[in-house]
Amino acid sequence: MSLTQDIRNKGVLGALAAIGEDVFTRITAGIPPGEFRRMLQGVPPGRPNPRLKPHSETFLLHIKPTYYHESVTRWNHTFRLGLLSTYLFFLELITGILLMIWYAPTPERAYTDMIRLLNNVPFGQFLRDLHRLGAEAMVAIVTAHMVRTYLTGSYKAPRQFTWFSGVVLLVVTLFLSFSGYLLPWDQLAFWAVTIGTSMAEAVPPPIVGETVNLLARGAPDIGANGLMRFYLLHVLFLPAILILFFFVHYYKVVHFGISLPASEEEVGQDTANRIPADRRVYFLPDVAIDELSFLMGTTALLTLLTVFFFQAPLEHIANPQSTPLHTVAPWYFYWLQGLLKVADKTIAGVYIPGILLVLLAAIPYLDPNPSRRGKDRRVAIVSGIVAGAVMIVLSWMGTPNYAVQAAAPVEVVQEMMPEEGMGPVREVGYEHLPVGTWDTRDEVEYEDPEFTKIMEEYRELIDVWEKKDPNFNNPYGLLIISQVQADLKQIDWEIHWVSPEGTEETFLKHFWLHKNSYYWEQYGPKTEYFQRIFEVMAPQDSAE
Amino acid sequence: MQGLFIKSPILKIILGILASLGMFAFVLVVLFTEDARMEVQTLNWEGRSIENGAALFKNNCTTCHGEDGKGLPAVAPALNSHYFFTRRIKDVKFAGSLEQYIKLTVASGRPSKKNSQWAQEMPTWSHRYGGPFRDDQVNDVVKFVLNWEKTALEQTAEEDPWQCFQDVPVPCKQQTIAAVEGEAAPPAEEAPKETAGPRDPADIFATLGCGGCHTLAGVPGAVGTVGPDLTKLATEAGSRVEGMSAEEYVRESIVNPNAYIVEGYPSGVMPQNFGEKLSEEELNNLVDWILNPDQRGQ
Repeated sequence: MSLTQDIRNKGVLGALAAIGEDVFTRITAGIPPGEFRRMLQGVPPGRPNPRLKPHSETFLLHIKPTYYHESVTRWNHTFRLGLLSTYLFFLELITGILLMIWYAPTPERAYTDMIRLLNNVPFGQFLRDLHRLGAEAMVAIVTAHMVRTYLTGSYKAPRQFTWFSGVVLLVVTLFLSFSGYLLPWDQLAFWAVTIGTSMAEAVPPPIVGETVNLLARGAPDIGANGLMRFYLLHVLFLPAILILFFFVHYYKVVHFGISLPASEEEVGQDTANRIPADRRVYFLPDVAIDELSFLMGTTALLTLLTVFFFQAPLEHIANPQSTPLHTVAPWYFYWLQGLLKVADKTIAGVYIPGILLVLLAAIPYLDPNPSRRGKDRRVAIVSGIVAGAVMIVLSWMGTPNYAVQAAAPVEVVQEMMPEEGMGPVREVGYEHLPVGTWDTRDEVEYEDPEFTKIMEEYRELIDVWEKKDPNFNNPYGLLIISQVQADLKQIDWEIHWVSPEGTEETFLKHFWLHKNSYYWEQYGPKTEYFQRIFEVMAPQDSAE
Repeated sequence: MQGLFIKSPILKIILGILASLGMFAFVLVVLFTEDARMEVQTLNWEGRSIENGAALFKNNCTTCHGEDGKGLPAVAPALNSHYFFTRRIKDVKFAGSLEQYIKLTVASGRPSKKNSQWAQEMPTWSHRYGGPFRDDQVNDVVKFVLNWEKTALEQTAEEDPWQCFQDVPVPCKQQTIAAVEGEAAPPAEEAPKETAGPRDPADIFATLGCGGCHTLAGVPGAVGTVGPDLTKLATEAGSRVEGMSAEEYVRESIVNPNAYIVEGYPSGVMPQNFGEKLSEEELNNLVDWILNPDQRGQ
């Protein structure tokens, strides 16, 4: 029918309405405006269901089920953790590809590229912070997804392989996060990855360990080759594996259906794919609205956290000659670091994680109990909780609080002014550090109350360590602040004490602090960050 | 938990839209603060670079250029100097910026300064020329040196610690240092100062830069460790070489430093032209002054 004929039949407005309706139906892949309105109004579909057309018309919807069992659409059955993991992967993919624009994986450029990204790229810091936060959230969400699946017993027949592919995805997620760790080429990255790859070296027999280590690092030590390898792992190899296993995993999920809450069916039964007509919840519109609004909320939350509460760390440039005090792994590997402190590298770094991984992947094949009901699974649930508690304890042992403390004066200075990160002295800042020689034995109020707090903290730390460490007797500390250049103060920590043999000992450490240097913590409100931003913005306002 | 599940699709849509609006608001916050944020970060990394440079300078450069960057006479030139910041690159006809000039010097050193007025030639610091520094460390040191600009520009001609190089085709005039404010100011035609009578040994010791390499108790700044400790001369000089009195030994060591080298110290480092710079009387006074702690107010 030609347009002129159409106008003759329906008039101009009628013809335009027909065109609009046609365009709308093409965009929605088969849902006319009237039907769409009824979907939003919550009117049940007619028969045959006209809302199924998009599932057959479009690729992305054809891989989604057309309807779900009502019980699995409840928030507290899945917590949408699988959806969230997938979403975070795509968020990482998009932010990651954008970040690649400003990054070259060579030791000469990687770190300066990070600084250039922060200094000169609009939204550069936002992208980097969001990518980092998304990565940490992804590790947490994928793990939570696994815990949920374990606790509801959803790994049981016929979903054993779904669980197995999920374990592969968890491992790939951890490696993805860890391989991204090296890319900024700062001290944090360099030493965490040096420790990580050194575990590969412990794989027996030595020839295998050495070869694996050499393959990962590209040289006996991490350098240009290692950085390139980790970069390729991070941006190509691991995402490719993840996408492959995502589809394997997702196909299995859709094929068997999301397992119903245990109370919905008899023990040993699996009725997820036989949904009675009165319990069906259609993807269009109910589940789609639910998932979309949930992801909108998640995006808003991630943005809020990134803008106001999270800053990806960037330490000093990687320096193979100097190991920073208290090198820590990323938090999701604290447990491994804790294990490494109590056992030999081969046992803690290779055998235990290897056995744990095999056990984890094999859980559905080892668990003979067909019931998914909590009261029938006391052993499984209790052992799961015990395993979780052990992980938490090991993680605590992985932090510097356990077993790696250095000499008392070193720890005191590290606490006051850490080699990396902020610490209380940098937090009060350049302006509140008066030039002079200050002594912890003088218990006085200084002109600047902020500085009084610093000296009190210094004194208290020395007291704490005097009680803790028998080699640290009659200690006192000096804090010598001098103006070495315009806007640059030298901060010398000088701690005196008497050793058990009675000799006087001194520890001395120099720092410098520039007025404009801004040190930050990874988590927490970005108060100082915004203060500095407003300070820069203020004079411009007054000039207007 | 069940309560967390929102059933109404309309409420979900509204909450989703509100969340999206919130997200746009947060992104707007970033958008409006972005210029200032980049400024804060630029200043931050510049500040951190200066901090790193300060540590490198303290560990590697202060023995020759001094803790305060004012140089040590006859050892290494001043960097915290008005002349250095205003005239140096013009006088040596360097085409680039001062930053590039410093970077070049730090990275590749000044091997040409051997046997010149400076006791030590500047070594190469960049790993590209066999030195210990990575590129970022060279940059950090350069940023630190440049950060003396503010204090250096406040120096008056008398305060400027710059010492003129003696091996340049266009000799630097101390007076031009004072005239830096007005670029066109004609160099003052002042007659070179004729020394009226012998100079004080303490002044000679300071201007020739002895303290940069030697330690001598009671003399401020004389804490160098490149050459032997001169304090010991008072007791040991007489017995160093058979048949030589303490005075003869010290005198010979000033005029002809390589005649006797104390074990453990390098030869050929000390300038060999002090004999030409000192009158007979000045030399005698200096020897006495070095050998007698009483004369130095000890």
